[in-house]
Amino acid sequence: MTHARTSVASLLGIALLVAWPFVFSSAYDLRLFALAGITAINVIGYHVVFGHAGALALTQGTFFGLGAYVTGLAALDFGWSSVVTLPLSMVVPVALAWLIAIPVLRLASHYFALATLGIGQVMLLVAIQWESLTGGANGRPGVPGVMLFDTPVPRGWPLVLLVWSLVTVVGLVTWRYTRGLRGRAFAVMRGDELAAHAIGIDIGRLRAQAFLWSAALGGLSGALYVHTVRVISPEVLEFHVMVAVLTMAVVGGRLHVAGAIAGAFLLTHLPEWLRGFDRHYLIVYGLALLAAIIVLPEGLWGWITRRRVQAPLPDPASSSGMAQSPPIETSGMPVRSVTGDEVLQVAGMQIAFGGVKALDDVSLVVRAGEVLGLIGPNGSGKTTLVNCLSRLYRPAAGTIVLRGRDVTRLAPHEMARAGIARTFQHLHLIDDLSVIDNVAVARFGVSRRCDRHAFVRERPDLATARAEVMPYLDIVGLAANADDRAGDLPYGRRRAIEIARALALAPVVLLLDEPTAGLNAAEQHALAHAITAIAGSGIAVIVIEHNMPFLMPLAHRIVCLEQGRVIATGTPAQIRGDPGVVRAYLGGDEGASA
Amino acid sequence: MLQALLNAVALGAAYALLALGFVLVLNATGAVNFAQGDMVMAGGYVAIAVASFLPLPGIALLPFVLVAMVVLGLIVSATGYFPLKDRPPTAVFVSTIALGIVLQNSANVLAGAAPRATPPVFGGGTVELAGLALPEQSLAVIGVAAFLIGGQAWLFGRTSLGRRLRATAQDRGMAEALGIRANLMIALTFGLAAALAGAAGLLLANTFFVSPADGTNYILKAYIAVTIGGWGSLPGAACGALLIALFEVIYPQVPVFLGLAQEIHPWTAWLFSQTAAAIVLYLAVLAILFFRPQGLFGEAAARRA
Repeated sequence: MTHARTSVASLLGIALLVAWPFVFSSAYDLRLFALAGITAINVIGYHVVFGHAGALALTQGTFFGLGAYVTGLAALDFGWSSVVTLPLSMVVPVALAWLIAIPVLRLASHYFALATLGIGQVMLLVAIQWESLTGGANGRPGVPGVMLFDTPVPRGWPLVLLVWSLVTVVGLVTWRYTRGLRGRAFAVMRGDELAAHAIGIDIGRLRAQAFLWSAALGGLSGALYVHTVRVISPEVLEFHVMVAVLTMAVVGGRLHVAGAIAGAFLLTHLPEWLRGFDRHYLIVYGLALLAAIIVLPEGLWGWITRRRVQAPLPDPASSSGMAQSPPIETSGMPVRSVTGDEVLQVAGMQIAFGGVKALDDVSLVVRAGEVLGLIGPNGSGKTTLVNCLSRLYRPAAGTIVLRGRDVTRLAPHEMARAGIARTFQHLHLIDDLSVIDNVAVARFGVSRRCDRHAFVRERPDLATARAEVMPYLDIVGLAANADDRAGDLPYGRRRAIEIARALALAPVVLLLDEPTAGLNAAEQHALAHAITAIAGSGIAVIVIEHNMPFLMPLAHRIVCLEQGRVIATGTPAQIRGDPGVVRAYLGGDEGASA
Repeated sequence: MLQALLNAVALGAAYALLALGFVLVLNATGAVNFAQGDMVMAGGYVAIAVASFLPLPGIALLPFVLVAMVVLGLIVSATGYFPLKDRPPTAVFVSTIALGIVLQNSANVLAGAAPRATPPVFGGGTVELAGLALPEQSLAVIGVAAFLIGGQAWLFGRTSLGRRLRATAQDRGMAEALGIRANLMIALTFGLAAALAGAAGLLLANTFFVSPADGTNYILKAYIAVTIGGWGSLPGAACGALLIALFEVIYPQVPVFLGLAQEIHPWTAWLFSQTAAAIVLYLAVLAILFFRPQGLFGEAAARRA
């Protein structure tokens, strides 16, 4: 359904763009059409960093202006051909982006916006001030047109063809880059950073890639622009360039190359169509941006192609499907450990928050194929321990050894790739993705590990990843819901998605943080069944639980924490009889009923 | 020297009004109001417009400016914030950029692009104080700004309305549960923020003039002040504003203080120009963000993990 609408809309759009210059073919119209294509390249670049990477970068105008100056000055002062200046105009902004990426990209969004804005202001002031080079505020006229080797590309049709060929190439490359599994990874990254860490997505790397690509396209666009208007002046660095690009991305649709092109095309022509408004057109421009962000949160393209997802009808079979639990097939799952081996050794883990010791010298060992229960009163440090093991927290002291490898200092996403997968106490899913895509995206980060020695580090495409993760959906009883929107499932089923997603990392150790919270009795029963099967496949499972009737029959061993210390370790029977545990945690009633 | 210091404090006081409004909205909504800079510009033009009917000194124009700006602030909240309040904060960032464009170009259409000046607060002369001739305008700006900042502090600290405003900023859900009309409080916060910025516009545009495109410059100043002073902190924003102004006024005068004025090298002249001051300021902010990604004094606005 979506595909059909997208295809029809794309074909209509392409037909419109091809027909346009034939219908509106005056020299002025052709120039405007070329400018629309030049702007489209800029917006295509921006939609990657702003839309997909979700970063409110205010540098796109700067990259554009820098590219314009590089080409303008190189053509004026050195007479270089466009074959040299166009790539140079991409390289210089990329170099700038690379320089500022390290300090700037890790900033929280409000500081990121300020920092990127500040960089743009510095560039603008330099361009105005450095008169001997740039001609100052008035700029320098006489920039030649595009020169391919020694052949000039004149205005009119040749320029239109050149520009729109570049739009096509750039658009296709960008589309290839942002679709499929990587597109889903971007969705997780901008939707939920914690989830992205937990499934091994290297946020910094993806964001930097997006930023550099946006710089390259901004520079290319600026270079073509200066060749077309034939003047280089500080106007190309002014803030309104940035605002225009932002507006086009928002109006067209920030997540689609087609939207970027549509936004650039419409808003480049808008001043012409609004000529009746005379000087007021910029007001209309602002109002259009405002209206677009309110009415079309996904832009024109998102609105045209939007899939209307109906909430699934309550299916009596599916809610009991987990409870009936046929024997769970785990033979298809990759086995990374031999059952019984000590796969995870944690020693001397310490962390304090504002003087309060949340973990105080915690040590434990988990074996492959074992279900280890982690219990303790509220605030005893259970979730803190899980956060340390998945490296969301940085412990002050202690070591984590995973299958003989010291992983204490890994970044969170590296931890997920190394084999420690987790679920969250509160759901961290992307509601707008389908169930299977929420799980398949976990293959994005890990899959390259499998072919480390291959020459080409090929990620699986989306279809392969989906096929790979179907067994995990089966284990948690979600196979029938694979194509449903994740946000439409009831709470208990959504929790199961997180488990499937963690399994899709092919982990050595699986950390489940209060997996029964919010589950009904039938769902709990099915969950216990699934956990047993998962452990049976050789994965070490650590289960944090308050729910003793659930945990006691399931766990092979139990570790009890109190005030950040391990106060007891043993079989469920030993723990039940441990006076310290009973006093600290279980209490008379609960101990008896379990 | 003393005169430069006085000018710097006056500029800082006006920046502080602007930055306070920025933080008030930030705390109430969690969103950056990018149109706050354009509010300064709007305030300047409102003063000029009123003065064209009633040729009064600035102090008498202040009430008109405050009222008009409260109304404008309410309009901004109604169009730029409330339709988007359940969306991520970047949506409001973009919508207020849009509103800024609308304001800027409306001013351009109504008043033209040429810089205009507001009337002085009292008069343009100098005051003799302990043998020093001090510009009356600077003193008046400091006085009016201090009065408004004091008024804001009194409103928030001592009145029931202020308590409700603060409660809403701290925890909207809780405030609503206690029967506070949170949406009304947020709208009022926008109005208040706009009024403070508008007053800054009235005060600044006598010395520095006002032109439609000034907003970008002012929002950057407010943004930097709030970043330096600690994201979300009111006193921090005021201190940050003062620091920026001191830097802007004092920095270009450094060669004078060093006695370099006589045989000044062109490069030295450039190094201490207004433009270079702006560049150094931005580079300083980038350096601060590089070494302290959480801001110079940490973040006052609590964020939940």
